[in-house]
Order: sequence, then structure tokens, then C-alpha cells
Amino acid sequence: MKRYRFVLVLVAIAAGAALVPAGPWAWASMPYRIGFIASVTGPGASLGVPERDVARMLQERLTVQRGVVGPDRARHDVEILIFDDQSSADVAAGLARRLIHDERVTVLVAGTLSGPSLAMVPIATEGRTPMISMASARSIIEDPATKRMRPWIFKPVPENLHSAQAQADYLQAVGARRVCHLYENTAYGKDTFQSAEAVYGKAGIAIAYGDAFERTATEFPQVARVRASGCQAVVIGSIPPAASLINVAVRERLPAVRIVHGHGACSPDLIKTAGQAAEGTVMPCGKILVADQLPADDPTRALNLRFVSDYQRYTGGAPISTFAGHAYDALQWALAALRTLPDRQPLERQRELVREALETKLGSIRGTHGVFKLSPDDHLGFDYRDFVFVTVKGGKFLVLPKDQWK
Amino acid sequence: MAPWRARPGWGLGGAAVLLAAALVLAGRRHGFGVPDYAQFVVDGLQAGAIYALVALGFVVVYRVTGVINFAQGAFVMLGPMLTITFLGASTTVSAPRLAASALAAVAATGALGVVVYRLALHPARGALLLTKIMITVGVYLVLQGTALLAWGPRPYVLPAFATLEMRDRSVLVGDVLIRAQSLWIWGTTAACLALLALFFERTLTGKAMRACAVNRLAAQLAGIRVDTMATLAFGLAAVLGAVAGIVVGPVTRPTFDMGLEVGLKGFVAAIMGGLVRFQGAIAGALILGVLETLWAGVTLAGFKDLFAFVVLVVLLLARPHGFAGAEAEAERP
Repeated sequence: MKRYRFVLVLVAIAAGAALVPAGPWAWASMPYRIGFIASVTGPGASLGVPERDVARMLQERLTVQRGVVGPDRARHDVEILIFDDQSSADVAAGLARRLIHDERVTVLVAGTLSGPSLAMVPIATEGRTPMISMASARSIIEDPATKRMRPWIFKPVPENLHSAQAQADYLQAVGARRVCHLYENTAYGKDTFQSAEAVYGKAGIAIAYGDAFERTATEFPQVARVRASGCQAVVIGSIPPAASLINVAVRERLPAVRIVHGHGACSPDLIKTAGQAAEGTVMPCGKILVADQLPADDPTRALNLRFVSDYQRYTGGAPISTFAGHAYDALQWALAALRTLPDRQPLERQRELVREALETKLGSIRGTHGVFKLSPDDHLGFDYRDFVFVTVKGGKFLVLPKDQWK
Repeated sequence: MAPWRARPGWGLGGAAVLLAAALVLAGRRHGFGVPDYAQFVVDGLQAGAIYALVALGFVVVYRVTGVINFAQGAFVMLGPMLTITFLGASTTVSAPRLAASALAAVAATGALGVVVYRLALHPARGALLLTKIMITVGVYLVLQGTALLAWGPRPYVLPAFATLEMRDRSVLVGDVLIRAQSLWIWGTTAACLALLALFFERTLTGKAMRACAVNRLAAQLAGIRVDTMATLAFGLAAVLGAVAGIVVGPVTRPTFDMGLEVGLKGFVAAIMGGLVRFQGAIAGALILGVLETLWAGVTLAGFKDLFAFVVLVVLLLARPHGFAGAEAEAERP
């Protein structure tokens, strides 16, 4: 018997190895670190808190799955280092520097707001570290002076320009040629206005009156100007609760006017804080908001449904947030790029390879807001037709298909 | 001293009238009619009444302690936030329940004002005035941060008092829209002013507080507990702030950071009124509210907040020696 024991042990080992799933077949190698910076406090908190929750949720999932597996079967634990930039550009810049030089992260997923994101752009570029922002401004990925992509910076977040294109399609379809544009007095609001100015003219839509309002205002003298201007539609470039307050004010004086929001209003907060006045308003939104109403053949439907249910289970029923979707997309890009890395690369090389992977290797990536097609000329890869038009009916967001635009 | 300085109210009033006239003229190019201007004034008076309640809080604390209490904005935020919390998650709101929640919120905020004084300012009572003012800034930041932890960053909804739901009742008078909540705001402000006047003119405690404002040392020698009066002033200011926040709650959507803006506007209004007189603060607040709304209506509304802060800078430049004007009642420590 003694001579067979050796064989039996070998057989037992082989059987054991065959029983375990394929994942652990990979061997453990060095861990990867992702630096994650969101605005968890300060004015951006309503965006940054869901984003941070997504980062925590994915960290838990990665711990259970034991990280990512590279092309050569090397398994890497992934650590997401989560920091709060307090909605401040200064703090964000300091954190980015620390993550790149001291914490030695391979990739940054950083920036809830455009201001802090822009502050981190030169630091990531100088530190030759890929950065994926969760904010919307075009200038984060594109140098406004040269109109060229910034090589190290990416973002999975649609811009106001896309929103304006979708709005222009809608306004054309319903025959609104003369519109008013009211926007909140912030970088976001001004960008919605500039985008509308740039897009509407080409679509034959005139902005008869455009003006800003304060996020904290309780009365809106702008409505008098809207009444005087005879607009067929009022476009609002704002985020709740400010978007709700102006919506209520416009609806109060002009019960019949068409109200079109931007994608910043795509949040259950709009319905919660505008109530009855939100009924009948329309807006272009990311698909995540109406995942369960998407057609069965929509390429993002399954992904969105799964993410929404995971997110709600993790947060104990938090409302769906498009910002959570942005964080999810940004982290998925980072993880997808990390999965392409060959084993045992020095940090500098890892960073270069992640950058190259994002630009060239990932191809079409399904995300919460659409199918992104990244390329060296487009670090966003979003098609404005991936926005869905929704309307508010009975206190819910409903998809408004093109044939029902009237 | 030039005569107009001796009566700062006249200069201020004259400037306000001139500015209003200029704004009305400027509005002609938009084709505004009388109803539009009337609407601006009504809206402005609504904003002004809120600024007034906040300004009264600044004045009470300044008169008794000499401190400009920048934590006032946090009390304004706590009013509606606590009310909403006390209301609970029930979908239907009854009037008694709303009233009870509001009263509880006011009481809690008032108590917090007392705690703030005892914990943060009383230990530093010997410190420089500037130190105390910086402490109030710190208190504001602590309260706002705590509110973020407690309530999160999302906006809340306080039902309108008249309808007990989000949508308020409104009437068209001519072509001017007046909301039921505006009446509540004006009524509350008037009631607060009357109660304050009664308190300071008719009660012993009120008179003692005024005595502290006039001359702290003499008040102390007369047997008035200056420290108790200062504590009371903070409690009173917190109550006023909470009341302001609660009545404006249905018009806005309360968030954890709503206090900064309304606090600063109330401060501007208090300075316009000289920082020591209740009537002055109320007048300053109403003038600020109306001018601001007129300004926003006829120019680009995006510059609305700019107006208040330009007023602030001009006032500070015109009276660099202090805000109190020639008839300062308050002693400067």
C-alpha cells in the first residue's frame, strides 16, 4: 500500500484542482491600486456621495472576486483608495499629487465636479498617470486652445453639447422655433447655455431670451421676461433643487408653456422637489434612469438593470443616480484597462499601458449611459443619440419615444 | 460730521429711491408694465421679510455681545431640517402636526443657540472680538458639516402651510401673483417684530439686555448678569433664525448648505440698517429684497447676488469706522 499512497495523494490534488473554478487557477501577483477622488462633502456632495458608494461597492466585489486577472493568468488584488476633495480644486490637486507620487496608483478615477477635475488634469498629465474624470466639461478631455485630446485624460460622462443636440432634435420635431433659456449661475449652467447657443442656431431655433438665476433664489423675476418674450418653450439648464424651483416658478405663471430640462435634471430629486410642476416636462437622460423601460434589444439594458439592483441593495434603497452610473462606468473602464496589463510591469509602464488600452484596446464598452467608443481622437466616445428622451408622468420618469414627440 | 452722516437713514433711503427709479427706467426697454413691477416688488418683499428675520438675529446678538454671529445661517438651515425630521416620513401632514414639529424645531434650535454660546463663546469671553467672530464662523462650519452627516446632501421638501402639500395656493390680484406662503412670511415677520418690541420695551429681562447693549460695565455694576443676557441673546437669535428658515422652507427646498447664502444676505441687511436697530434692520432687509429683485428683473438676473455684495462693499467703504453709524447704542469692547 505504501507505494500507492504517493499516487493517491497526486490524484487527490488533481481532483481538488479540478473542482475549484477557473479564477483561482491564476496565480497571485502584485496588487494594483486605483486612486478614487470624489466630492463627498461641499456643494458637490449630492453627486459625490453616490459615486463614493459605488466605489465602496465595487471594492467589496473586487475583494470577493479577489481582484482582476491579467492576460497571462496573473491575479492582481485591486485596492481602490477613496478620498474626498471637499468640492475644492485645491484639495483635489493635493490629493491627486499624493496618490500619484506617494500612494503610487496605476490609474486615477478622479473628479466629481468640473473644477476639481480641471485642477487635477495638469497633475495627472505631468505625472504621466491616466485619469478618468466623472465630471462633464469638455475641456477636461480636450484642450480648448488646440482642440486636441489631452493624452492622459478620459471621461465617461456626456456633455451639455450632447444634451443640447438631443434637445434641438426634440424642439425641431415639436416645431418650437423660439425658445427661452434659463440656466443656473454656475459653471454647469453657463455651459448648458453656451452649448444651446452653439447647437440651436444650426437647427433653426432662436433663443429669444437667455438668463441666469441663482441656485438659492426664492423668487424669479426672470419669469416676467419669459412672459414678455413669447417663447414657445422654456429650456432650463440646472440641477435639482434649483431646477425644481425655477420649474415651479415658470409653471405657475405660464401653465401651458413647454418646459425642457437638461440632463442635469435627470434625478428623482426633480420629481420629489418640483412635484406637480414637473409633470409633462421633458429632458434627455442617460439610459440608467429608465433601465427597466428600455427595449429588450438595448445593449445597455441588462447591464443597467444589474447595476441598479446591486446599487440599491448596497445602499439600502438609495434612489437611482446618474452620477452613480458615471462612477460605475469610470471604474469599469479602469478595471477593463487593468485586465489588459501583462504581469510584472514597473509602475510607469503600467500607467502607459493603461492609457494605451483605454485609447485603443477597449473598443466599444457598454456603460450605464450608452455604448462608448473610445479612440485616440475621442476620449469620451459618446453618441448623443444614446440619450433617451423622458417625460414626467404620474410622478415617474417615462421614456418618450421619437414617434410620440408632439 | 456731515449732516447726512448724522442721519444715515436719510442717505440710505434717498440712494434706494434713486436706484429704484433708475431700475424702473431701465426696465422700460423690456416692455415691462405696472403688473411686472408690482410682481417684482411683491417678490422682493417676500425675500426681504426673510432677510429681515435673519437680520434681527444678527442685531440681537450684536447689541448684547458686540459679536457678529456668522453661525446665524446654520440656525436658519436647522429650522426647516429639524421640522422635516420631526414631521417624519408620513405622506399626509396634518396642521397640528406641522405646527408641533415647527415649534419643536424652533425650541431645539433655540436650545442649540444657548449651547453654542456656553460651549464655544463663553470660554473665550476674554478674547478679542475678532477671535469671537472667527469662533462663530467655526461654529457655522461645524453645524453645516454635522447637518451633512445627519441629513445627507439631498434636498428636502417642507409642505406649504396653507395647503399642507408641496404645491402652494396662490391668487392673482390684477396680474400679480401672490402665494399663500408669502402671507405667512409677512405675518410671521411682523409678529416676530412685535414680540421683540414687547420683550425689549416691557419686560425686565428685555430691559436688562438693552442695558448690556448700552454699557456692559454699568449693567454689571447694576447687578445684571451680563453673561446670562449674552446666553439669552444667542438663544433668541437661534429662535429667530429657525423661524426664518421654517417659513421660507416651503418656498425653497431645504438643503444642508442653505444657510450660508441667506445668512450673508441677512448680514448685509443688518448692516444696511446700522446693525443696532431693529427697525433699521427690517427697513434694510425690505429695501435690499426689493432692489435686488428689481435689479435682477431689469438687468441680467445672473448678477442678482452681486447686488447685495456690492451694497455690502459700498457700505463698508462709506463707514469704515464701524457699522453702527452716528447713533450707536452698542458699546464697542
